[in-house]
Amino acid sequence: MLKKRLIPKFLLRDGRLVKYVRFFENERAAGNPVTTAKVYNDYGVDELIVLDIVPSEASRGRVVDIIERMSEEIFMPFTVGGGVKTLDDVNMLLRAGADKVSVNSEAVRRPEFLREAARTFGDQCMTVSIDYKRISPNHASVFIDGGREHVALDPIEWAQRCEDLHCGEVLLGSIDRDGTMSGYDLELIHRAASVLSVPLIVSGGCGSLQHAIDALEAGASAVAISSMFLFTDHSPIKLRSHLFSRGLDVRASFSSRN
Amino acid sequence: MSGVAIVDYGINNVRSVKNAVEYCGFDPVVTHDADAIADASHVILPGVGAFGDAMINIRARGIDEILERQVREKGKPFLAVCLGMQLLAKTSEEHADDGVVHRGLGWFDADVLRLMPNDPALKIPHMGWNMVAKERNHPILANIRESNLAFYFVHSFAMRCRDHGDVVGFAQYGQPVTAIISRDNIAATQFHPEKSQDTGIELMSNFLRWNP
Repeated sequence: MLKKRLIPKFLLRDGRLVKYVRFFENERAAGNPVTTAKVYNDYGVDELIVLDIVPSEASRGRVVDIIERMSEEIFMPFTVGGGVKTLDDVNMLLRAGADKVSVNSEAVRRPEFLREAARTFGDQCMTVSIDYKRISPNHASVFIDGGREHVALDPIEWAQRCEDLHCGEVLLGSIDRDGTMSGYDLELIHRAASVLSVPLIVSGGCGSLQHAIDALEAGASAVAISSMFLFTDHSPIKLRSHLFSRGLDVRASFSSRN
Repeated sequence: MSGVAIVDYGINNVRSVKNAVEYCGFDPVVTHDADAIADASHVILPGVGAFGDAMINIRARGIDEILERQVREKGKPFLAVCLGMQLLAKTSEEHADDGVVHRGLGWFDADVLRLMPNDPALKIPHMGWNMVAKERNHPILANIRESNLAFYFVHSFAMRCRDHGDVVGFAQYGQPVTAIISRDNIAATQFHPEKSQDTGIELMSNFLRWNP
C-alpha cells in the first residue's frame, strides 16, 4: 500500500527561503533553498513542495533555476507552484524538473484552466493548493492571492470541485495555523479526507511529532511541514522513526546505504 | 561503446533520468539517432505520457527498428521506465476506443490493463511510495535490502505478464501491480527509479554496471 508522506514545504521570496506566521507576520529568512533541499534529501523526506509566494516574471526565472539545480542532485518528486496561470507556466516548471505543478488562485478565477492543464499534462501532474481561514468557529472560507483575497468558497466543497476538474492531489493549508506550530486543523482535515478521493496533503500548524501523527490519523495522505523542520530540533529523520515506531505506514528507512 | 543512450521519442521530460545517470557517474546522450544508440553500451527508454502517442512517435522515428537491432539482436543492456516498460507489452487498453487496443513493441507476452484495485478507497492514479516484493533476485537490485525496496510510482495502467518468469517484483495496490520485469538483457520498472532517492539511484547504478 502507499506510504504516508513527509513533505517539507519551501516558501520562496525572490529566490530566498522564507517563513512567516499566518502568511504575513514575523518574516524569517530560512537559508538557501538548494542547500536546504540537499540536507532534507539526506534526511530522506518523501517529496518537496516549493512555492513562490510573491510571483513575478523575474521570480519565475529564479524558481526555474532553483528547480533545475535541485533536480541535478536530488532524486525525489517535486511539486512547484506560485503564480501559475497558463499552460506555458505549467510546461516551463515541468521541464525544469517539477513532477507536479501546484495551482491556487488561477484555479479559483478560471476553473477551466485546471481541467485544461490536467488534460494536457495528466491529472497526476496537477496539484490544487487551497488556503483557507476560519471566519467563524464553524465556517471556513477560501483565500487566494497569497491569503490576501477572500472568496466565498467553502474549502472542502472547492476541493471536491477541483477533484471533478481532474486535479491529482489537494494541498490544503490553514492560514490561521500557518507558522504557529500549534497543531493541524484536525476537524477540517477529517472532513476533507472523508469526502475526497484524491490524496490530501495538509499544511499549517505542525510543531510536534504528535501533530503529524494526529493529521495522518485524521486521514491525510501526507503532512507538509516547514517551521518545525526549519526552527526546531525535530528533523525529518526523527519524525520518520517516531511515526514508524508508532505503527504509521511510512517508509521504513531513508537510505539503502545506512 | 561506453556511453549511455536515453531514447528521445518526443516526450516532455527526460531531464530527471539524464540527471540521475550523470549522478551515477556516466555521460548520457538523449537521442533518437540510430548511430548514437548503436554507439552506446547501455540504453534507457524513459516514459511519461500516453501509450498511443508514444507508439506513434516511436514508429514515426524508426525507434522500434533501432531498438529491435540494438537490444534484441545485439543484446545491449536495456532499461525501460514507467510508460517505457508498458511499451514492451503486446497491447494496451489505455484510451482504447471501441475496443480497439494499441499495439506495443510486443517484446513481452503481456498486456497493459487499467488498474482496478479491489478497494474503492484506493485512488487512481497509483501515485506515491510503495514497496516492491521480490519474486526473484536480479542484478539491478544488488545490494538493496528488501526493507528498502520502496519506490515512487505514478501510473493508472499496469502490465500483466502471461509468463510469470518475466516478473522480478510486484507492488500491492488492491491488486498485484507488476513493478519490475526482466528477461535476458532487458529490464524494466513501472516505478521511477530516477525519483526514488537513494534506492532508485542504487538501482540505476546497478543497471549502468550490468553486463548480462
